[in-house]
Amino acid sequence: MSLQHYLVISSILFSLGIFAVLTRKNAISILMGIELILNSCNLNFVAFSRFITPAESIVGSEVFRFDGQIIAIFGIVLAAAEAAVFLAIILAIYREFGSIRPDEVDTLKG
Amino acid sequence: MVVSLISIILLAPLASFAIFALLGLAKRNFPRQDYLSTFAMLVALGCSLYLIQEVVSDPKPLTVEWLSLGSVTFSMGFYLDSVTVIMLIVVTLVSSLVHIFSIGYMHGDPRYPRFFAFLSLFSFSMLFLVVSDNLLGIYIGWELVGLCSYLLIGFWFEKDSAANACKKAFLTTRVGDVGMFIGMMMLFAEFKTLSLYGDNGIFDAVTTLESGQIAGLSIAGILIFCGAVGKSAQVPLHTWLPDAMEGPTPVSALIHAATMVAAGVYLVARMFPILTPTSSLVIAYVGGITALVAATIAIVRFDIKRVLAYSTVSQLGYMMLAIGAGSYVAGLFHLTTHAFFKALLFLGSGSVIHAFHAMHAHHDDEHTDDAEHEHDDHSLVHEHGSEIPPDQDMRNMGGLRKKMPWTFGTMLVATLSISGVPFVFSGFWSKDKILAGVLGRAMEWNSVHHYILFSMALIAAGITAFYMFRLIFMTFFGEPRNQEMHNMAHESPWVMTVPLIILAALSFPIVNTGWFNKDYVKPPEQHHVSAPQHAYVSPDTKTADANFGFSLFGTSEAEAAEEDGGNGTTYTDDAHYAVHKLAHNIAMVLSICVAGLGILLSWMFYQRRTFSAEGVATTFRPVYNLFWNKYYFDEFYDGVLVALTVWKSRLFAKFDLSFIDGIVNGVGKVTRDIFAAFIGFFDNRVVDGLVNRVAEVTWAAGGRIRKIQTGAIQTYLFVVLGGIVLIILIFRLF
Amino acid sequence: MEFTLKTFIFYGFALSTIASALAVVTVRNIVHAAFALMVTLFGVAGLYVFLQADFLAATQVIVYVGGILVLILFGVMMTSGRLEMRIHIERGQLLLGAGISFALLMLLLTVIANTPIWKNLTDDGTPLSPTTERIGQLILNEKFLLPFEVVSVLLLVALIGAALISRKEVRE
Repeated sequence: MSLQHYLVISSILFSLGIFAVLTRKNAISILMGIELILNSCNLNFVAFSRFITPAESIVGSEVFRFDGQIIAIFGIVLAAAEAAVFLAIILAIYREFGSIRPDEVDTLKG
Repeated sequence: MVVSLISIILLAPLASFAIFALLGLAKRNFPRQDYLSTFAMLVALGCSLYLIQEVVSDPKPLTVEWLSLGSVTFSMGFYLDSVTVIMLIVVTLVSSLVHIFSIGYMHGDPRYPRFFAFLSLFSFSMLFLVVSDNLLGIYIGWELVGLCSYLLIGFWFEKDSAANACKKAFLTTRVGDVGMFIGMMMLFAEFKTLSLYGDNGIFDAVTTLESGQIAGLSIAGILIFCGAVGKSAQVPLHTWLPDAMEGPTPVSALIHAATMVAAGVYLVARMFPILTPTSSLVIAYVGGITALVAATIAIVRFDIKRVLAYSTVSQLGYMMLAIGAGSYVAGLFHLTTHAFFKALLFLGSGSVIHAFHAMHAHHDDEHTDDAEHEHDDHSLVHEHGSEIPPDQDMRNMGGLRKKMPWTFGTMLVATLSISGVPFVFSGFWSKDKILAGVLGRAMEWNSVHHYILFSMALIAAGITAFYMFRLIFMTFFGEPRNQEMHNMAHESPWVMTVPLIILAALSFPIVNTGWFNKDYVKPPEQHHVSAPQHAYVSPDTKTADANFGFSLFGTSEAEAAEEDGGNGTTYTDDAHYAVHKLAHNIAMVLSICVAGLGILLSWMFYQRRTFSAEGVATTFRPVYNLFWNKYYFDEFYDGVLVALTVWKSRLFAKFDLSFIDGIVNGVGKVTRDIFAAFIGFFDNRVVDGLVNRVAEVTWAAGGRIRKIQTGAIQTYLFVVLGGIVLIILIFRLF
Repeated sequence: MEFTLKTFIFYGFALSTIASALAVVTVRNIVHAAFALMVTLFGVAGLYVFLQADFLAATQVIVYVGGILVLILFGVMMTSGRLEMRIHIERGQLLLGAGISFALLMLLLTVIANTPIWKNLTDDGTPLSPTTERIGQLILNEKFLLPFEVVSVLLLVALIGAALISRKEVRE
């Protein structure tokens, strides 16, 4: 398995996530698309840190390739926070508009 | 030490004024503010007295740079010599006594604190003027003094006559000040400095002038003298001083007798080194004419304060005459003695008026507090002396010497002094010195001008004796002319009589002539007078020593110097000395004769009534009218100058109305009818059209473009991502 | 490339990930989409294992599947009121979104294919275990301590904020 395998998978996930964000008519579906995008990013981090070793990660003869994984952990944490806030906002919007269709929430319409 | 003393002298009255002003702003009354300012003046007096011994033989100016304009630097500073110190003492002493007197005289006045504030400010201004070493400082003090004079003359501004008098004083002196300013500017243009002393001062620069430049110097000197003409009330600008008697009497004593009017004399004395023969002669003539004119007017006045006012004008003319004739020391000596006895006369007259006031207020409105209503009954117009307030009219007085013994005694001393009664009164010595100086120059130069001047001074001296004793006889002797007023008159309280007594003491030469003795005051040199220098330097010292030698005090040093064979230093020229000795003796004899004649005539007219004053008046009707109407100066100013001004203004007004307004209106009409129409059209169509088109286009475009904003998030996302794709594609392709 | 069991499993994970992700974005029932997302997340966790990131894989399963996904399901239930909710997709929007997504995919693939240093990098199979110990040391030493603490604070802030926003208005 080469780096390019992982990159192709993550590209596909990313494109699908973008597709969901652009087209779905439900805010929760959009959130799912965003989760896809985040996952593709995390996958990229881990893959790059596995295959491409930066010079400063080599101490003595031992090789440390954990930077990508730690960034991915941070990414997961951010995803959790984002999901929590997103859902809170969706709840508030639902209470206010009675709907979570993004095209119906258009108070800023010109 | 000297600097700090001068600072104290200047700051004490200024601080007093500042405290008054601040309290006034805060609308607070500090108890006994009058004591505060009196105390400040006494402090200044003490410092001034201490300064006598500090004066060094070769005084140096103490200056600081004040203001730099380009290459020119103006400096401010003090110059301290014997004359300065004498002036400081005169000013602070008279001012202190006037302060004390005012505590009694102004008691109960509603603006009592303000009066003392003005007095303090005035004292500061005058002291500043005196100690300044440059023309700019003198000018500042000069104008401040003028301002204070304005404020104090118009102190009872409810009275129309007072309001008019203060305006008149301000404007009249301003006429002279313009001349003075031009003179200063001439000196400045020539010498590039306004400092008088020091290495680069005007007096130093003057010595190097060529004889061809003397004419300009003469003009500058005469122009500066113009300022003194205004301030010291010389003919023809003397008319404001008698009107200035509308102010409270202490003010008259302080400002219009002792100090402010003396500022003019002081200025001329300060400028002594730049005086040329021409300007000296002009000054002497103006002084002589003033002395004579004012004395003759004083003969026929009935208002006690007016008599004194014209007497002041006359005596100031004397001083100018002395300085113009080169008798520098004599002029300043007379300035000093006159300050004391004239202040005394004014305060004495104030005491008399005060005594009558009390009666008046009581009599008129059954009110015991006289001062509150002090001004109400002043509302008579003083113009041309035709209406005199009854409490100042000598025709209402008479026989007061028993009622007011202190006032009478002290005023008699002053009168004897001013009249030139020989030997024991200071006025005799100073006046005699002037006469001797003028006669000495006349004899030495064989100058017709100076003989004329001498005769003018002599006649004026006689007239002075006459009208002063007329005043005394009418006021204090004889039978009371107005029994009702006489009954109410009373001696003034001690705060008023004590200053009178002190001033009376100062009218004896034992107290004050010593200053002008033993070379304490040395006249500066005049480089541009054609006669030998010692002719100018010596008259004073010679005559001083000559007469002090046999009669006076503090002359032991001078006598000692003489005995030491001191002829070598000052007595450089025996012939010259002889001439002046002779002149002095002649002048003394003549002045005694003239004074005696004046007193005798006065006694015969007003006491013995050998002749009837009224009879003489009718016999010499035209002359009497001339005197009574004060040589028609006021009428001349009203009828000619004012009328000319009004006529000229009317002419200009007509010109303005018909011609200039016509042009303006015509231009306006053309502008309105033609240009305005065109511009209006242009505005409406072109400018407004353009603006409206732009607005419409913007509106329409905005209406369309705003539809882009859907408010839906996904639309924006489409645009953003589509844009990203496009940008990347473009970069990949190219 | 030899076709080993390991390769087979890898492709299995890859395909299931992509297929389930496709389902997430296409199925109309939102609950079905959520379950498809769960499969995707499991697939990604499997790929992490292939990348020698076993701690990360476990975290992915616990946090994502056990936490975020449950959160999403809660959201679905609280907003729709019923579990089955049809998702309407307009045709024009669908085509446009598909176009942009496809263009992005093509771009990314082009970049991947044309970047020389990414070619022929194969997994040398070096084991990284025990990853948990190493990650723990890295997080708590100087290199990642500050980001770790910042992220912690961020998470706390987000949670408090979410609680504040989503709570019901207290009426007087």
